[in-house]
Amino acid sequence: MLEMSLREPVLSPSLLQIKDYAAMTQPWTTPALFDALETHVARERLPMKLALEPGSEPTISIHLPEHGDLAIHLAASGQQLFVSTPLCFGSEVNDRAKFNDACLRLNPINPLSNIGLQSFDGEDVYMVFGELSTRSPIANIVEEISMLADNTLQAAQALQSFIQRA
Amino acid sequence: MSILEKILTLFRGAATEAGQSIVDKNAVRILDQEIRDAQNESVRAKDELARLMAQQKIAADKLAAKDAKKAEYEGHIQRLLASGDQNLARDVATKVAQLESEVGEEQKSSTSLAAAIEKMHGAIKTADRRIAGLQQQVDQVKVNESVLRSQAAISARYSGQNAKLSTALDSLDRIKTRQVEQSARIDAAEQLAKSEGDGDLEARLSKAGLLTGGSVSADDVLARYQTVKVTQNAPAQLAAPDTSAAPAAANAAAKNA
Repeated sequence: MLEMSLREPVLSPSLLQIKDYAAMTQPWTTPALFDALETHVARERLPMKLALEPGSEPTISIHLPEHGDLAIHLAASGQQLFVSTPLCFGSEVNDRAKFNDACLRLNPINPLSNIGLQSFDGEDVYMVFGELSTRSPIANIVEEISMLADNTLQAAQALQSFIQRA
Repeated sequence: MSILEKILTLFRGAATEAGQSIVDKNAVRILDQEIRDAQNESVRAKDELARLMAQQKIAADKLAAKDAKKAEYEGHIQRLLASGDQNLARDVATKVAQLESEVGEEQKSSTSLAAAIEKMHGAIKTADRRIAGLQQQVDQVKVNESVLRSQAAISARYSGQNAKLSTALDSLDRIKTRQVEQSARIDAAEQLAKSEGDGDLEARLSKAGLLTGGSVSADDVLARYQTVKVTQNAPAQLAAPDTSAAPAAANAAAKNA
């Protein structure tokens, strides 16, 4: 029965759903992941707006209207998927040492995501990011994205006292 | 210096000295160069390995030839001794002794050659693994960079040309603004509902005791039942309009029951 339905040219909706939770036999590439995510988001009616940003290293941008229009970026490279969003600028932080300390303490209790520091155009940017295997099923990737959004806003709220906005 | 140390140094430099931001921009190029160096090293090591393996092959061939020669001479010695040619047998035996020491020598060098080859194999494997690791780190640096770049491009697209990278704090602000807006909207809607549907006027009228339709108290309900019972038994009391008559009517009803 299952075999017969797997032989169909188009997978039935229930099978498609199972597929979303199954580990991948092939690693994701960014464009392939974009197509799969778009289908998944449309089917599950998730509050996410997706766009593929072209370039030599293409990325997927995800807008989350329910998280204050938070923009999350997703890119596949080699063995891992990198999901990230900027937390704040280093220049906005009052006391970098205390802030770093607070971030390091938040890190272990943040499920599925981490806080890190990156340089961008000569400026330090604190990032909240998560890493996944490029063979992760779509459902895990979506979970990572929404978890990252929640964590980011929570971290921003928790670290607000250290930040001096321009 | 390991690659991670190098990355840390590069970025630390960029963070502390304004003039060093050029290093930051060149970081990826420096890392790429590092990979190319490691690759060249690996290629050189592979050439060296090929040379050693060729050497080992030649040595092995020579060894085999000498072994064959020795076996041949040993056969001769036996035949010469059988035929009683002692002198020639001695000469051949001298040759065999020389060959034997040569074979021993060559076997020793062949063993050390094999060990060198084994070591070289290991070194190449390590180098190749290191290159793969480096490549992954460089890819990651590039992807992180491009992720930030498109993030900045999107911020600019959403909020004007010169907008900075939009951060979580902006989102937090937006959520707060939205919450304020929403509660303001709810207040406004309530106000509107009040003024539109005569709500305000009705409220004022009912406050003045002119409207009874709005709220119903327990007393009202009780009174309603009591009047109904009274009505059944004493229709004459129906005319009693004020509620103060109700307790009396209730008493009457209780007595009747």
